[in-house]
Amino acid sequence: MIQTFRRLFLTILFLSVSTPNLFAADAAEKESESPIDIMGTVADHDYFKFFGTKLYLPRIIYWSDGEGSSQLSTFSSTKKAIESGMFEDVDNALVPTDGVIKIDLSITSHLVYFWFGLGAVALFTMFAGSRYKKGVGRDIEPQGAMQNLFEVFFVFIRDDVVRPNIDEKKADKYVPYLFTIFMALAFMNTFGLLPWAATATADITVTAVLALFTFVITQFSGTKDHWVHIFWFPGVPFGVKLLMIPVELIGLLTKPFALAIRLFANMMSGKIMIIAILGLIFIFNDMYGSVAAYGVSIFSVSMTAILYILKLFVSLLQAYIFTLLSAVFIGMAAESHDHDEEHYHAEHAA
Amino acid sequence: MGLLAAGIGAGIVAIGAGIGIGMIGKAATESIARQPEAAGDIRGAMILTAAFIEGVALFGAIICIILALQG
Repeated sequence: MIQTFRRLFLTILFLSVSTPNLFAADAAEKESESPIDIMGTVADHDYFKFFGTKLYLPRIIYWSDGEGSSQLSTFSSTKKAIESGMFEDVDNALVPTDGVIKIDLSITSHLVYFWFGLGAVALFTMFAGSRYKKGVGRDIEPQGAMQNLFEVFFVFIRDDVVRPNIDEKKADKYVPYLFTIFMALAFMNTFGLLPWAATATADITVTAVLALFTFVITQFSGTKDHWVHIFWFPGVPFGVKLLMIPVELIGLLTKPFALAIRLFANMMSGKIMIIAILGLIFIFNDMYGSVAAYGVSIFSVSMTAILYILKLFVSLLQAYIFTLLSAVFIGMAAESHDHDEEHYHAEHAA
Repeated sequence: MGLLAAGIGAGIVAIGAGIGIGMIGKAATESIARQPEAAGDIRGAMILTAAFIEGVALFGAIICIILALQG
């Protein structure tokens, strides 16, 4: 079964890549009026950049044509889609010549880096898993840098993030999810530091999907107490109970929203800041000539170096915060109150 | 006008978040100085609370970005 899926996936991948999508950096890229395109570096693209070469990614679009019949069209690149005559380019967006796009399933640069992140986690864990299966790390101490690194991260997530925040009896059930999300975010955030790469987490859709995972898992692990606290807040008068229902419902939805926005805004602002400070060189070159640009470059480059170190720290910190908050939210929902109300309120009022 | 509002708004958001996170940092360093053996717990609580404040600040920042992009 898995074999079949893998073959199918590889075939599709091969077909989408084998068509000549690889173009050298387009010489005819249009000149914008600003010397540096800040938003363009954080926006999602239809190509995958690697050392100045662009690999155009397939477009998969579910759309309905003028007569109203829906269909799924796949093209190996945006250029191919335009050449087919079914689509045209309007302000850098692909629009059908006749009809409307229903769902755009195109593979984009952010999606590719999302896959890279997950793939890196899969390889990392499978490598460590095979080591542990052989007994290395169980019977004897872990061998090599990779396995030690894995153990450091895993034990950190299990002992410092999951177990203190989730009920002991249930905690270990959530370790795989939270470890995966931590490692995936750490990989995705740090991949964004590579000069030619895109930061997948600087896209609100990526972070929103991850926050949605946490939200769904939180709701499914919610105990009776969790739902009682939302719909019938204990220990307050009747009128306040009614008043608390919308407040609690909004609180329920704000948590994943804040989770998504926090990660997205942090990663995007870091990226914009670096581009803007480096862009000062080009802006000064345009406005005051090359001498001023050389002068500014001393400031800009040293500042960027410092910002890069800061961003490396922030990308790991944000992965940690996302995981920690996910654990806290799940822990709050999965908590069952064996102890009496009085004790509970005294404990949580502090 | 939208740009002006976004700029002023971003400034106010930064002030608020700065005061909030500054107070957390102050309280945390004071408590660590008073009780160094609890440093790990305090650091965890500090990061968690700072993340919440940052979340509120980022709501403001997002509104400012939306205003700036529309304006």
